[in-house]
Amino acid sequence: MLAIVAKLVARRLLVAIPILFVVSALLFCVLRKLPVDPAAMSLPTTATIAEVEAKRHEMGLDRPLPQQYVIWLADALQGNFGRSIQFGREAGSLVAATLPATIQLAGAAMVLAAIFGLGGGLLLFHLRGSSLETVVDFASILLLSIPEFLWGLILLFVFGVVLQVLPFTGAVSPNLPQPHVTGFLLLDALWVGRLDVFASALRHLILPAFALGLAFSPAIMRVLRSSLFDVYHEDYIQQARLRGLSERQVLLRHALKNAALPTLTLAGVQFGILFSGTLLVEVIYSYPGMGNLMVDAVRNADLPLIQAIGLTYCVAVLLINTVVDSLYLVLNPKLRVR
Amino acid sequence: MKLKRRAFLQMATAASVAAPFVRGAAAAADAATIGWPNDVPSWDPNQRFTPDAQPIFKAVYDQPLDQDTQLKLVPHLIKRWELAPDATSMAVELRDDVTFHNGDKMTAEDFRYTFLERIKSGVKLDTANSWKKVDDIVIESPTKATMKFNAPNPTAPQWMAFLGSYMVPKKYIESGGLENFQKKPVGTGPYKLAEYELNSRIVLERNDQYWGPKAKVARITIQIIKDPSARVAAIQSGQADFTLNVPVREVQRFQGQSGFAAELNPITRVILLQVRADLNFADQNVRLAAHHAIDKAALSKAFYGGAAVPLSVVATPGSPGYLPDFSFKYDAELAKELLKKSGHGPDNPVKIGLAATNGQFPSDYDIARAIVQMWQKVGIEADLQVIEYAKYFELNRASKLPEATLYSWDNATGDPEIFSGYLLNPKLPFSAWKDEAVGGQVLKLFNVADYDARIAGYREVERFAVEQGATIPLLQSVLTVVRKRNLQYAKYGNGWVLPQTLQWS
Repeated sequence: MLAIVAKLVARRLLVAIPILFVVSALLFCVLRKLPVDPAAMSLPTTATIAEVEAKRHEMGLDRPLPQQYVIWLADALQGNFGRSIQFGREAGSLVAATLPATIQLAGAAMVLAAIFGLGGGLLLFHLRGSSLETVVDFASILLLSIPEFLWGLILLFVFGVVLQVLPFTGAVSPNLPQPHVTGFLLLDALWVGRLDVFASALRHLILPAFALGLAFSPAIMRVLRSSLFDVYHEDYIQQARLRGLSERQVLLRHALKNAALPTLTLAGVQFGILFSGTLLVEVIYSYPGMGNLMVDAVRNADLPLIQAIGLTYCVAVLLINTVVDSLYLVLNPKLRVR
Repeated sequence: MKLKRRAFLQMATAASVAAPFVRGAAAAADAATIGWPNDVPSWDPNQRFTPDAQPIFKAVYDQPLDQDTQLKLVPHLIKRWELAPDATSMAVELRDDVTFHNGDKMTAEDFRYTFLERIKSGVKLDTANSWKKVDDIVIESPTKATMKFNAPNPTAPQWMAFLGSYMVPKKYIESGGLENFQKKPVGTGPYKLAEYELNSRIVLERNDQYWGPKAKVARITIQIIKDPSARVAAIQSGQADFTLNVPVREVQRFQGQSGFAAELNPITRVILLQVRADLNFADQNVRLAAHHAIDKAALSKAFYGGAAVPLSVVATPGSPGYLPDFSFKYDAELAKELLKKSGHGPDNPVKIGLAATNGQFPSDYDIARAIVQMWQKVGIEADLQVIEYAKYFELNRASKLPEATLYSWDNATGDPEIFSGYLLNPKLPFSAWKDEAVGGQVLKLFNVADYDARIAGYREVERFAVEQGATIPLLQSVLTVVRKRNLQYAKYGNGWVLPQTLQWS
């Protein structure tokens, strides 16, 4: 099985190369065609028009677009994504500094989305035909219609302002230090043996992770329920019942395993969307991740930084899809045979 | 052993759950937390001119000269200065009791390095632009130096207290490198940088060896909270003790709550319409009608609770360029008459474009919509379009801005050159007005060394520009502040909130 998975990963990596080229070229062209002036933005307002023109020449903005792209690509292949106009630092290093926080947030949100999604899906299926089904069904549709940023504001208001039980700014309390080992704060806090920092970081993660997780769980919930409906029409379910298994055993041991496959596919797609959904949630919760950085970059027309972050999102989505497909192989023996 | 570890973990968990209920953590006696809207672009203070970051830089670094709360220039690291009558040189005398946070003594060598050597070395610094006229800095003693300019530089003293002009340590940067300086900045300011997390927080600790008045609060945490609603929530919930740039309606709401002080402070920021000299604004009657048709007092009342002062020139009350006796009146009937002269009226409106940002400054888009309504009544039909602030320069460069653009610009120094001088200077990318009649007068003033003559010249230009319809000043903007009532601070005319002025009462 490992060999098959390895083959899939290798094939995906090969496909990822042209995809990344296409995405980077598209991003580059679109950004350069925007009516913004990176040269003027990188100079103070005291700069004269002549100085801005000189800067444009220095930045290569007066060259043909394909030539600009080739120069950028050559640098990018050596790990140089250019310098951020706003921060004056390597765009790559800024992304590297903020990516772990976003991965941590998206990962926590995905775990919550999976728990709510699976739990809710099973509950919905369990309540089928009962009078409560309509109520829970309505609740899931309501959840589905609330976007993540609105969840962010609702949770912040309820738990941060009204009840005042959870923090909602930053990644850790102001009176605690922030250790730096891997960039993953929870891990780093444990690494340096600071349980107080770990607990504080966890508390700061709760609201943004719930905001994202709640927004993405209803889709998982509903797909799982409809998959379970389909699976329950299969013969092996009837046979399991004839073997004397209880309804709970039929559901958990047989139906869920098979119904989980389409749900997993959806979860993979959702995780990609969820990753980019961190953008607004990070701003609302002042969470120091890549989404927060992206908002700065867009506001300041920081093209090198937008390009680097855009590509990172692309790589993240490709990686997530590869992982999901590998899991699919692990869970579905039929695919291994093919 | 297992039992002990479990007990320890249980205690840690219990503590973590209980911690949020321990109220008032943000308001510890010798500490304060500020909800701040933006991060610093870099810890090299000479690198980028970011107005929002200046108060933070002023906590860690010192400027050669400073401004008092009324924006008057006052000695700081420089004890005495003398600008030559022709403004081609400036002699300065530095304090001899200033040390950097690492213990190094500040001398004229640092002054020369900051304002000449590191600029000439090719490091990408915004100060390279503001100090491009510096040819040399001659050091006469450890505390005395003379700046030599290659052209008259009449605003050199003002720039010594303006954007990016912060003293940096020569020895520390040269020995440790620029990257190390940006990671572990060393200044001479009243606070030391204790911790920095990109886009998250800045922790400042009092510099007990500071040469000037010591900061009253020992530890300041600046929490970067970009979303205005989140800043409101932070102060409301006690997670911040002080915040700024919140919506005006929130200030009005906090004004009725005990324990909080909420303020609308008029500052040196001006809200105006940048106008073009061509398209349908080539007709002066149309430009002046557009100005007369705007009821600025109504805009102030509707969007700033009446706290924003209506302006007739692009200078704020109390600043040197302000003209207290000049008034450009709101007169819708006069606007109609002017338009009639050009063959327009409510039944035959002149069509123009109006660009505005949405969210760049408080109520910007709403103000633009109100102006469109006011114009419609007199016979100006405006097509309102939203632009990003970052697009302004490119649209201006490519002559794609519409006839008018709603804009907000700050002048922390109050000096008219650093406002009208840039606003109406056709050589700068900021200026939308490209016309020699006004622009020529502005360019001449850049070489006037005598302060009084220069200020008188700018006053004339400001009046002339408004009479020509070359600019349409609207309002003096306000800074919104919400704080805990017992946390005091010094109010600066330019809206600076300096951490070193915070004080619990």
